[in-house]
Amino acid sequence: MGATSKSIQVDRQKIVLLSILAAIVAVMSFLSPKFLHISNFQNILLQLAPLIIIASAANLLMITGNFDLSIGSVLAFSAITHAFLSKQGVPIWLSIIVCCVLAVCWGISNGIMVGILNVNPVIATMGTMYASRGFAFLIARWDGGANISAGLPADFSDFGRTNLFGFLPIIIVFMVAVVAVFIFVEKKTVLGRYSFAIGGNRRASVLSGINVPGVTIALYSLVGLLAGFCGVVQVSRVGSGFPNIAEGMEFDVVVAIVLGGTSMLGGSGSTAGMILGAFIVGIAANGLNLLNVPYFYQTITKGLLLIISVFTDQAIRRRG
Amino acid sequence: MSGRQEMKDGENPVLMTVRGLCKRFPGTLALDEVGFEVRKNTVHCVIGENGSGKSTMIKILTGALERTKGDILFEGRPFEPRSIRDAMTRGVTALYQELNVVDDLTVGDNLTLGRETCRFGIIRKSEALPTLLENLRSLDDSIELSDRVGDLSVAQRQVIEIARAISSDCKMLVMDEPTAALSAEETQRLFKVVRKLVAKGITIVYISHKLSEVFEIGDCVTVLRDGKIVGNRTIEEIRNQTGCDSESEACLELIRMMLGKVVLEEYVPSENIREETLLEARNVNTRKLRNVSFALRRGEILGFYGLVGAGKSEIAQVLYGIDPYRGEILLEGKPIRLHGVSKALKAGITLIPEERRVDGIFGELSIRENIPMMRMEKVLRNGIIHRARENQLADGYIKSLSLATNSREKKVAQLSGGNQQKVVISKCLNRESGVLLMDEPTRGVDVGAKQEIHDIIRGLANQGKGVIVLSSELPEILQLCDRIVLLYEGTVRTVLENGPGIDGDRIMALVAGREVGA
Repeated sequence: MGATSKSIQVDRQKIVLLSILAAIVAVMSFLSPKFLHISNFQNILLQLAPLIIIASAANLLMITGNFDLSIGSVLAFSAITHAFLSKQGVPIWLSIIVCCVLAVCWGISNGIMVGILNVNPVIATMGTMYASRGFAFLIARWDGGANISAGLPADFSDFGRTNLFGFLPIIIVFMVAVVAVFIFVEKKTVLGRYSFAIGGNRRASVLSGINVPGVTIALYSLVGLLAGFCGVVQVSRVGSGFPNIAEGMEFDVVVAIVLGGTSMLGGSGSTAGMILGAFIVGIAANGLNLLNVPYFYQTITKGLLLIISVFTDQAIRRRG
Repeated sequence: MSGRQEMKDGENPVLMTVRGLCKRFPGTLALDEVGFEVRKNTVHCVIGENGSGKSTMIKILTGALERTKGDILFEGRPFEPRSIRDAMTRGVTALYQELNVVDDLTVGDNLTLGRETCRFGIIRKSEALPTLLENLRSLDDSIELSDRVGDLSVAQRQVIEIARAISSDCKMLVMDEPTAALSAEETQRLFKVVRKLVAKGITIVYISHKLSEVFEIGDCVTVLRDGKIVGNRTIEEIRNQTGCDSESEACLELIRMMLGKVVLEEYVPSENIREETLLEARNVNTRKLRNVSFALRRGEILGFYGLVGAGKSEIAQVLYGIDPYRGEILLEGKPIRLHGVSKALKAGITLIPEERRVDGIFGELSIRENIPMMRMEKVLRNGIIHRARENQLADGYIKSLSLATNSREKKVAQLSGGNQQKVVISKCLNRESGVLLMDEPTRGVDVGAKQEIHDIIRGLANQGKGVIVLSSELPEILQLCDRIVLLYEGTVRTVLENGPGIDGDRIMALVAGREVGA
């Protein structure tokens, strides 16, 4: 009985998300002739890919009851560092590795602050958010300007603009791969199981001998790694480095995860739900863009969407 | 003493009458037809072990909880408080264990908290302050108004709360185990305060499980057990009944009432006790424990018994690496430092915790997901969770522990208390440690499941493990344990061999701190 009621509850929640998604698609395709076009969906995917990649790890992190506000800043830091190093003549592949390692370091520092020093995750990652964003601006300044656009090597954009089989953008390939990996991690690995345990009952986790600080640091590092990697891909795709990219991205990630049914307190959630949440945000934003709705209305819509869906979700849970 | 001497039996009028009070929680009847009278200007003690219904009763009396049925008369009129504040306006105030003072404010600010007079939102000096100050001074003159409350001792903070309570026309003050966090000296100071309060005409309802306190300041006593009243007596009656001034006899009488008749189920000795010492503690000291020494043999069930607060849980916490300690612990003859849970687990010690909901289960996860949690390697293949192995492991424990469920996928939060406990036990057994610590293994578990859990524990000992059972239920200890360590206020009183000749009365006297002639 318990198992069935649980699966019914989860399914019902996914059904709600799917119907919201379907409703948005229906309304948008009715309102805008450009919406139901393959190139438009390609656009949506390209826009959502970094968000979904990072949210895959951030989702597991939130399942442990923690979260990360430094995502956007670490992404920008990594992007600008990649541009800077490449311009200095460091080989592209080496620069990519260095940027990913540095991003992991940001994640480890978050993890140590939260997991070992018991700093509140909001405060710890907000500190990292400011610090890494500051470094991004500083590195751009070292280069001598507000951003790094001129003087990049000719092959700088090759990596980000790679199309697999001639038509699949590399970031989409990574997205699919990362999502697959994290669905696997969530369901089949000790790290996934421990994440649910820690978020569900922290004290029992400690008493069961689970290495809570270790899991926390590992997850923050993964979030940092993916943010750093997305930064590299983004800057490479665009072809120039701006220190102010991905501002506020951490909140988009939180919105997608929470829409997807992961509890802010931890203990429950799923990668699949997160993807649905991300698509709701992405498609709604895209539709509003096509309709030439001004930016501030889009922000208002995003806010309402978040509050309404979380409220509906809670109402369903309470009744179920 | 003063309170008792002033009171001449029967002369004090009744302040509060409780009749047929019942409180039903889902699944349990916490209070069952409770009835008693509180006489004006007395110290009325309420005693009982954990889970006897004391707290529930106090919460109802002070308006924090609604009753299911029953009547309460206060000063002759029906008393039906809808909130704590409501009860306070009628003159009934509670002093809870968790003190309701703000550490970062000064004593003066705390005294006037909640009754500041404001003008345009700006706090003005409270007019009530002089009265409050006078109350405070009369109780304890060592506290300065400008002191920061966080710097004061627990006892002093209690006094601040008492001063606040009695300023609002308080007729009855309910104190919930006020000495639980106090030293012996502070306790004496609190008693002085209590006597002053009685002298001021305030009636005290005093909740405790420390019997010596009851004899020291109590006038009357109500004993609760399993939600029922087992006795309403005056201290005089108890003294007279047990003959002359023998306090230890009187105490024993109260313990008998509190714990009930000890129904001795048959004790079967473990079959497989070896002489070899598995775990030994030598002169272990912590904040609560003093010079605790004991030895656990392989194949033995060693019981720890004592009243609430005697230090049972503290022993489990030391052995599981949670609490820091001084002293020596030897595992299989080799000294070992136990700091950190992972250290204890690696050494082969596993704790089955007392509070299973808080410390044991992962309620949102299924039985299958809970069981391997302490040793994931058993369900891994090439580092990946192998579903078939996991199912096999879960099914094995469901069968061997007769866990009543129709599916291993059921969320543990949805199981009954006994079955949740079996999940916790399975989770810990899966660790396959040589030493098992079981803190209150059958608390809140129904009778059938209790017997089953006892059989499991016996089975573990017979397999050659060393099992330590910490329990506040004497029948459980007597039925299960091969040897019994009796604790009193953090010290080991004595270690008894279980057997047909064991004397329940003597055990009770020892754990109550009474001297017993050899």
